[in-house]
Amino acid sequence: MSMLEIKNLHVNVAGKEILKGIDLSIAAGEVHAIMGPNGSGKSTLSYVLAGRGGYEVTEGSIRFKGKDLLEMSVDERAAAGVFLAFQYPLEIPGVTTMTFLKTALNAQRKARGEEELDAVRFLKLVREKAKPLNVTDDMLKRALNVGYSGGEKKRAEVLQMSLLEPSLAVLDETDSGLDIDALKTVAEGVNALRSPERSMIVITHYQRLLDYIVPDVVHVLSQGRIVKTGGKELALELEKSGYAEYGADAA
Amino acid sequence: MTENATRRFIEDYEARREVLPGVDGWLSRHREGAIRDFAGVGLPHRRLEEWKYTDLGRVLEKAGIEPAPLLEGAVLLPESRSAAVFETIDRHVLVFVNGRYRADLSKAARLPKGVEIHSLGDVLHEQWAKDLVERRFDEKRQAESIVDLNTALMSDGACLRVRKGVKLDKPLHLFFFSADAGASHCRNLVLLEDEAEATILETHLGEKASLADLVLDISLGVGARLNHIKLQDEAESSVHIATMRARLAAQARLSSFTLTLGCGTSRGQSFVLFAGEGAEANIDGAYALKGAQHLDQFCVIDHAVPSCNSHTLFKGVLDGESEGVFQGKVIVRPHAQKTDGRQMTHALLLSRDASMNAKPELEIYADDVQCAHGSTVGELSKDALFYLQSRGIPEAEARRLLVLAFLDEALDLAPHDEARESLRRLVSDWFAEADI
Amino acid sequence: MAAVKETVETVREAEKYKYGFFTDIESEKAPLGLTEDTVRFISAKKDEPEWLLQWRLDAFRRWLTMTEPTWAKVSYPPIDFQDAYYYAAPKQKVQPKSLDEVDPKLLETYEKLGIPLTEQKMLAGVAVDAVFDSVSVVTTFKEKLAEAGVIFCPMSEAVKNHPELVKKYLGSVVPTSDNFYATLNSAVFSEGSFVYIPESVRCPMELSTYFRINEKQTGQFERTLIIADKGSYVSYLEGCTAPQRDENQLHAAVVELVALEDAEIKYSTVQNWFPGDEEGKGGVYNFVTKRGDCRGANSKISWTQVETGSAITWKYPSCILRGDNSRGEFYSIAISNGHQQVDSGTKMIHLGRNTTSRIISKGISAGKSSNTYRGLVSVHRKAENVRNFTQCDSLLIGDKCSAHTVPYIETKNPTAILEHEATTSKISDDQLFYCMQRGIGEEEAVALIVNGFCRDVLQQLPMEFAVEAQKLVGISLEGSVG
Repeated sequence: MSMLEIKNLHVNVAGKEILKGIDLSIAAGEVHAIMGPNGSGKSTLSYVLAGRGGYEVTEGSIRFKGKDLLEMSVDERAAAGVFLAFQYPLEIPGVTTMTFLKTALNAQRKARGEEELDAVRFLKLVREKAKPLNVTDDMLKRALNVGYSGGEKKRAEVLQMSLLEPSLAVLDETDSGLDIDALKTVAEGVNALRSPERSMIVITHYQRLLDYIVPDVVHVLSQGRIVKTGGKELALELEKSGYAEYGADAA
Repeated sequence: MTENATRRFIEDYEARREVLPGVDGWLSRHREGAIRDFAGVGLPHRRLEEWKYTDLGRVLEKAGIEPAPLLEGAVLLPESRSAAVFETIDRHVLVFVNGRYRADLSKAARLPKGVEIHSLGDVLHEQWAKDLVERRFDEKRQAESIVDLNTALMSDGACLRVRKGVKLDKPLHLFFFSADAGASHCRNLVLLEDEAEATILETHLGEKASLADLVLDISLGVGARLNHIKLQDEAESSVHIATMRARLAAQARLSSFTLTLGCGTSRGQSFVLFAGEGAEANIDGAYALKGAQHLDQFCVIDHAVPSCNSHTLFKGVLDGESEGVFQGKVIVRPHAQKTDGRQMTHALLLSRDASMNAKPELEIYADDVQCAHGSTVGELSKDALFYLQSRGIPEAEARRLLVLAFLDEALDLAPHDEARESLRRLVSDWFAEADI
Repeated sequence: MAAVKETVETVREAEKYKYGFFTDIESEKAPLGLTEDTVRFISAKKDEPEWLLQWRLDAFRRWLTMTEPTWAKVSYPPIDFQDAYYYAAPKQKVQPKSLDEVDPKLLETYEKLGIPLTEQKMLAGVAVDAVFDSVSVVTTFKEKLAEAGVIFCPMSEAVKNHPELVKKYLGSVVPTSDNFYATLNSAVFSEGSFVYIPESVRCPMELSTYFRINEKQTGQFERTLIIADKGSYVSYLEGCTAPQRDENQLHAAVVELVALEDAEIKYSTVQNWFPGDEEGKGGVYNFVTKRGDCRGANSKISWTQVETGSAITWKYPSCILRGDNSRGEFYSIAISNGHQQVDSGTKMIHLGRNTTSRIISKGISAGKSSNTYRGLVSVHRKAENVRNFTQCDSLLIGDKCSAHTVPYIETKNPTAILEHEATTSKISDDQLFYCMQRGIGEEEAVALIVNGFCRDVLQQLPMEFAVEAQKLVGISLEGSVG
């Protein structure tokens, strides 16, 4: 079954067309990488999927598990299973990571008509998910993302993903700002979440991340269009030749 | 008590109104209104919120407020370091003695086309001068009552107008010297038209029990740039009341820096009004007080339109029985979104009897803004002193070093490279001689 | 966070102001208006000794010569002090000796407010004094407290049973001449709580007073006096509500705290008087004078307040740091929404050596409200080694509200180190988007972020209050986004 079906998607930001007709179909269990130079529209695509304000869809459709995603509010999409791992996770002063996780998880469970977790069961679950990601109790007690290093922020994003168990995870430049060891930890966390019921979109500028999260399909996005689609070897090609042939600098 | 000094000013006005400049035009009516307004409020006293820490009425009760004598013969200008501080800078100089322009002591070289410099009496018939003088900045008028006084009595001043797109070739230096006891009332006007640029240096020296009453009215056109540096080094028996009122059009930038190394009772007021988007104002200063000196810095920044930045930093050290005051207010009007307003004041108390009062206010009516203020008061860090001494630096030297380091952050903001370095040397020499 | 979730539910279920009901109970009132006779009437009702009547009359005569203060950033139509009742009491034949004798309707009222007065239902470890209009209806756990030597009773009872203590301390922190509203209170105060903690006693439970204005057109003028004798400790909680009314109700309380050597008083308030309706009609005028005197060396007074209600708040809980090494603290959350006007803050007067103070103020403005922090830190010439840290943060929600910060920092001693910081911010769209992307609804996300903003202060509250306060944060901000 198709997890995500994007058809002829056109998106304007501040009156300027950024996405100029995207077609993308992702089946359950597949991992798609979207690569492209800066300014090609990669982050725009991730924000449109999550429903951020200021992104105007002028044409086309997005269906998620058969439903019209564009009709849903940001939190409804989240409850339905769309998860965005942010390139720059937001700081929320005074709200501990633990509190945030519990509020989010229970809000989603409630929206889906599931029973909310009590404090004991929740704590057990978080500890279990946090351990392989090296997220310590100390981190969980600190305010969300406040004073976290780049690596800690990205690990916290993957922890949220692991806890919220989305059907579609969008990873926006998850590799940016990470050294190789941090990258490995994050990638292992992501790989552990791969399953036949879960699809992923991995957005990245560099091939490096795809050594660790091996995609089924690679798309090249340039100037608001998908200009090439291939297997994982396409990423390696790009690493060698750069984005020049796609009409953009490799910057 | 205050009534008495107020009355003396009004009498002074009554006696001289026929001989003040602009007697035949709009100004005489305006002066009438101003003296009436001034009489209504009277000289400020501590019961007024905006004068909570400075009792100007009481101070002026003791000072001579009769006009300082008009000196026409030879005058010996002081030879102090402060007097010479801007001498190495290539500049136009206008000298005022006892509040009167002295052409014989001034040297304004040929001015570029599009730059006009006049004395007050020569521009009073012009619309731009009228526009500048008639403006109001203070809603409550508590702080502007001394501007009314100046409007009623102003006798001379420097007026600079720079036409659109023109750059004043070198700094204009206004040198004010009070040689005798008595009052001088100067009004300086600065109009920079769109994209014009200028640098103004001011020096204020006073050796006797003098009252320097000054207003600097500024209007900056779209994209205009004004750098302003003021040095104040006056006798302990002097009184200095100065108000700067600036209106900034879109994209304009005003950078003003005041260094006070000597004063008796001094009140410096700054009003900045943002009237166009994307403008920027930096109102900064440093001061070192000793003896019974009293310095009150009062600063209101009015963000009336969106997307303007303001920055204020005042740092000072207080020795002897001196008193420092900082009253600041950042106003962000409704719809003035994307405002960035910062206001900081830091003071070091060096003696048992010095005191400091700070009142940094924020008044905010828009939500998408970034505003912050901070204030610290303290003494020199004992740990730092000990550390320096443990490295063999004598205590007095160590104290000087730390004080200079403290002031340096503010001195860095003086908006003219050569002038900044001169001021830095001046401060360093001042502390080398001061027994702190 | 369970509390936040509950908050949102409460918002959905409850009316705008859930404490806005009125209890229909017969009451006895003083004649309308304020004259010497009113003062005599109140004093006679309370069966007071002559010295207290004279004290009240002195205050009343002084009040006649005073004018209302106008320096605060609040505006309201002139108050007609003659068009109010200065005393109202639920009609009861005799003062209840135990809970069984209290009118069940009253108990029901407190039950509805979430303040059960029957002891078996009480939160363990909190003794409650419930004040209904002008009189105390019940004080719980009296016996247990008596065992520890703690006196916790209505002020009128203290005047009778402990006159020496009342005489010694009443008006010693807030003199009768202090300010317009405090002077008015001195003349007409009707009820309030009296607490005395004897030397070296750690009060075995939290003490709590719950104030309720019920009668129409009635002012509430309670007077609270807390004395912590040498080496003692007490934590005191105060809660307030009032019914929804079209006209404004006046509340002018005075709270005096005295901490002797090595004593500590922790005073927490959750103020939720009716804030007025959406058009700004009605609501409580809250003109309150609260002051603590750290009279002894090493004493400590800590004020924590969560201000969410009232049409107008005019309130500056302060500390006089007289004893050497004494410490004052002020933790405040002030939320204003609708047409509310808040002018609140603190004064820290450093008189003694090595005295320290800490001020953390979190102001949240939404709707068309105005929220002002006004504070003074003053260091006197002989106060050596004073330390103060002040942080005032404002959060604005929407572009029709305003936030103001008016700090006064005055020092006459070079050894003082005073630090003041203030910031203004808003809830960023990005923060909201992030929370919502994780499945949290918008109102809940706002409550979550605001609770995070207030965390430093919420942490200071006793557990039972912290939960209630968190809920209030959410409720108060209802309708402020979107």
